[in-house]
Amino acid sequence: MTAAAVPAGAVPGAPVGIVGLGLTTMSLEPGGAPGDLAAQAVTAALADAGLTKRDVDGLLVNTSQGVRPDRLSVALARQIGLGDLRLLEHLEIKGATTVAMVARAVLAIRAGMAETVVCVFADAPLQPGGSAGSTYAHSGGSDGVRGLERASGVLGSVPTYALMAARYLHVTGGNPDDLCAVAVSTRAWAVHNPDAVVRTPLDAEGYRASRMISTPLRVLDCARPVNGAAAVVVSGRPGRGGHPPVHVLGMGFDHPVRRRRAGTESWFGGGRRAADDALAMAGRRPADVGVRELYDPFSVVTLCLLEEYGFCAPGTAGAVARSGALGPGGDLPTNTGGGQLSGFYLQGMTPLVEAVVQLRGTGGARQVPGVTTAFVGGIGGRIDHHAALVLDREAA
Amino acid sequence: MTTTATDLARADWLLAPGLAPNAADAVLAPLYAGAARGELVLPSCGACGLALELEQRACDRCDSADVVWAAVAPTGEVHSATTVHRRERGLVLATEPYPVVDVELASGHRLVMTTLAPRASAPAIGEAVRIGFRSVGGVAVPAAELAAAEIRPVHPSDTEVTP
Repeated sequence: MTAAAVPAGAVPGAPVGIVGLGLTTMSLEPGGAPGDLAAQAVTAALADAGLTKRDVDGLLVNTSQGVRPDRLSVALARQIGLGDLRLLEHLEIKGATTVAMVARAVLAIRAGMAETVVCVFADAPLQPGGSAGSTYAHSGGSDGVRGLERASGVLGSVPTYALMAARYLHVTGGNPDDLCAVAVSTRAWAVHNPDAVVRTPLDAEGYRASRMISTPLRVLDCARPVNGAAAVVVSGRPGRGGHPPVHVLGMGFDHPVRRRRAGTESWFGGGRRAADDALAMAGRRPADVGVRELYDPFSVVTLCLLEEYGFCAPGTAGAVARSGALGPGGDLPTNTGGGQLSGFYLQGMTPLVEAVVQLRGTGGARQVPGVTTAFVGGIGGRIDHHAALVLDREAA
Repeated sequence: MTTTATDLARADWLLAPGLAPNAADAVLAPLYAGAARGELVLPSCGACGLALELEQRACDRCDSADVVWAAVAPTGEVHSATTVHRRERGLVLATEPYPVVDVELASGHRLVMTTLAPRASAPAIGEAVRIGFRSVGGVAVPAAELAAAEIRPVHPSDTEVTP
C-alpha cells in the first residue's frame, strides 16, 4: 500500500472503532418519515463522536424492506448535507444488513478507502389508521412464494416464526415455558433501560395472560416495532467525544441456505460460522464474551441463536433461559437493553447499540460489571442470513 | 347482480378474495394451473429428481438447470403447525383462530398451507395429511385435509343397529 492510498491520519493495522452513537426517540406512535429520523440519528451520532459532517467520508444506509415506499437510499447523503464522500452504499442482506454495514465500514477503513463512515438505519412502520401489525399484515403482495403463503393465511411475519417456534420446541423437547423465560429475562433488562419502550416489570403470570398471536407465540414473544432511527460512526481515528474506544475486533458472516425439503430442518439451524469467524478474528473464545446482544424479533430466535453461536449446547437454551442465566445477575447476560422484545425493534441496530453502551460502561442500572468483550449477532430472512461482530473496549 | 351457487361454493372459508395470489406468476404459474385441475404440481430436478424449492432455478445436488414441474402424490405429514389467533380485519373472514401447517410431502417438498376446512386447533407434528384445494378469489391453492378428521374408521359394528 502506498502512502498516497492511506487517508491522512489513518494508521494501517490500527484498530477501527465505533466512536459515535446516535438514537432518536423510539416512538410507539405514528409520525416521522424514515429520512427525517435518519437525519436526526446521524446528527446525534456525530455530536456524540465530537465530529462534524466535514469529518465524514462514508455513509452506509439500510432501511426496513417492504412496509412503506419512502425508504432510505443513497440520496440520504444529499438530503442531510453530506458531501465529498468516498464510500456511499445502500446495503441489503435483509435484517442482517445493519451488522453487515459495520463490517463493510471496517473493511473499507482498513483498506484505506475511507476514514470515517456513518452507518444509519431508520424505520417507521407505525402509520396513522393502523397498528404496525396491520401494516405488516397488508404487506407482501401476491407474487412468488410470499403470494402463495399470504393466500394461505400467513399474514405478517408472526405465523412463520410461530412455525419455527413450534418446530424448535418439538425437536428440543421444550415447551412454552422456555419462551416465557426469554420474554421475562429480556424485560427484566428493559426495566432499567431509559430507551426501552416497554419498562413495566413482567413475571410468568403476566406473560401467560398476554394475548396469543400465533401458537405458541404470544404478543410478548414478539418484537416491539417503533418509529425511530439509530446511527453509529465507525472510524480509524479516535473519536473526540470523550468515550472509551470500542474496537471492532472480529467480523463473520454465514449464509447456510437451509433447504425447505425433507431430510433437514426447514426453520432453524446453520449460522455457526458467523460466530466462529468473528471470535477467531478477534482472538476471543465464547467464554470471553461478557454480553451477548442478539437480534431477537421473537423469543424463540434468542434460544436458536444461543445454541447456534455456541453459547449453549444444542437443545439446552430453553433450560438455560429458565435458570435465569440470561437475565440480570445471570451467568450469560443476553440482550441487556431489553432487546427487540422489550427495548425497540430497529433490526440490527438494537443489539449493536446495546453492545456499545455496555462497553462504554454507560448502562446505568443495567450495566453488566466488568464487560470488556461483547458479541453482536444479526440475522435476516427466516434466520437465513447471519452477520456477527466481536467488539472490545481495549485495543487489540 | 345475484350471487350464484357457484360463487358461494368458491367463497373461501378463511380469506378475502383480495388475497388471491397472482395465478400468472412468472415462477408459480404451473402450480396454480395444476391446482385448478386438482393436481399438486411442484418442481423437481429433471436430471436427478431432487425435490426443489418453489423458486429454485438450478439443482443444488447435481447442478442441472433443468427444472421440471410435474404432479406429485398429494400426501404427506405435518412438519410444523400453528394456530393463528391474530385476524386482520378486511383480510381474514374467519371469526375464529385458524391453522397454518407446514406440510412435508411424500415427494420430499415442504409447503406451507392452511386447512381445507375450518379447524379450531393446529394438527400435531407428524400427523398424516392429504392435499386438497381451496379457492381464494378464484385462484386454487393447496390446502391440507387432516387424515384423522377425513377418514372415519369403518367397523363392522357401524352397520349394526345399536340396541
